[in-house]
Amino acid sequence: MPAITTRSRRAVWRRQFLLQGCWNYEGMQNVGFAYAILPALREFYANRPEEALKAVKRHLEFFNTQPAMGSVILGASVRLEERVAAGEADVRAIGTFKVGLMGSLGAIGDSFFWGALRPMASVAGVLLAMLHPLLGIGALLFFYNTAHLTLRRRGFAAGMEGPEGAVDWLKREALNIRTDDRKMLAAILGGAYAGLFAGRFAGHEGGPLHALAWLLLAAAAVNLFTVLFRKAVSPSEILSFLLFIGVLILWR
Amino acid sequence: MVWQFLLAAVLGGLCYLDRTAACQLMLHRPLVVATLMGAIFGNLAAGAQVGVVLELFYLARLPVGASIPPDDTGAAVFGGSAAAVASSSIGLDVASFTGLLLLSFVAAEAGKVADRFVRKVNVRIARLTAESVDRGDLQAVEHGLLAGLTLFVVTGAVLSLVFAGAGVAVSKQLLPLFGPDSRMDFAVLLPALPLLGAASVYSCSRTERTAAVFFLTMAAVFGATVFFRWAG
Repeated sequence: MPAITTRSRRAVWRRQFLLQGCWNYEGMQNVGFAYAILPALREFYANRPEEALKAVKRHLEFFNTQPAMGSVILGASVRLEERVAAGEADVRAIGTFKVGLMGSLGAIGDSFFWGALRPMASVAGVLLAMLHPLLGIGALLFFYNTAHLTLRRRGFAAGMEGPEGAVDWLKREALNIRTDDRKMLAAILGGAYAGLFAGRFAGHEGGPLHALAWLLLAAAAVNLFTVLFRKAVSPSEILSFLLFIGVLILWR
Repeated sequence: MVWQFLLAAVLGGLCYLDRTAACQLMLHRPLVVATLMGAIFGNLAAGAQVGVVLELFYLARLPVGASIPPDDTGAAVFGGSAAAVASSSIGLDVASFTGLLLLSFVAAEAGKVADRFVRKVNVRIARLTAESVDRGDLQAVEHGLLAGLTLFVVTGAVLSLVFAGAGVAVSKQLLPLFGPDSRMDFAVLLPALPLLGAASVYSCSRTERTAAVFFLTMAAVFGATVFFRWAG
């Protein structure tokens, strides 16, 4: 069996960071995936150029998933290609595995990375940036990338154990629970951010009733914006509307 | 100022590369980019101030599937450079700050159009790559990826140059046209902007459990802020 060398394995690991290097509307991450897995294919089919070409073409087919979660599929695809090259597995297993997993991993990854981890890291960074900008930037990058790079590393290693290893790892990681935890943290920090700014704008004058009115107004504004987002109104549209009001104020 | 624009283009291009094509280490986030642009154009703190508000605006727009979110990196290039230049010329008062944040959406939408264009050109690159592989050229995959990366980084550098230029022009030419008094009227819109960012975070994190937590934390922090202001 043509086992992958450490050098090729490291090359594939490094190349996964360029999965979206040629992102396009037709094959999406197809060129990036073929590029990432190429060192392994060159090794498995070292003296079989025709089969190497067929293998590369397999990976130039449509592929799209959340980029960090792509590491799991990439690792497992390397292992499957290894088995195919050794004549131990059917070539169709690779396509079936990739197509079967990219959608669900994309959904899990989008929800975790874009819907929970990034908002949590962003709002933590923003709050700390009020103390010092560099502290905020450091916090944003630290909170996001510790989870991001760990999941990439573990996901790739699990994938390299084969498709079964990848599925087991996904169960063990329980990303749905982690997503809920990050969302809770983001909600706490986001609430703190909203309260801090609303408090700053409340002004020195007026008593508790004035402050309460400000708080209710701010909470209503957050709710209104949220409803607008849910109705697919873009933040840019809201900003352009506010700019229009601003121009009217200047005109007056 | 030429070297400042050159530096903005190079570092902006690298940040744009992180946005889609490479790594996704969050070096393209508005907090990072606006602070960087602020430092390049002479006032790191002014850039960071813009970044703090811009960071959260577009969080609710997820880069899922083929959808492209507005270009908040571009908005940060514009806002960070404009804020730094304004702070050293007319002064970054509350109204100028509000105006720059509101105008940043133009950069965000223009960057989105450019991003769509790059991905369309990449379709041709991907097709050419597949054709070359059909002809037996395995290296075409590496060349194709390099071409895609180059397109992303060059577009990012050009966008950074354009948005930084627009930021400097707005701060030097547009803002001084309005006197301090008329500009101050504009500041009435400022409280809405951080709340727009908070709503983005709330939209992302909203579940049955988190809704109450968000508003309870908001009320607690609001109460503490107001109390300490009164006490102080």
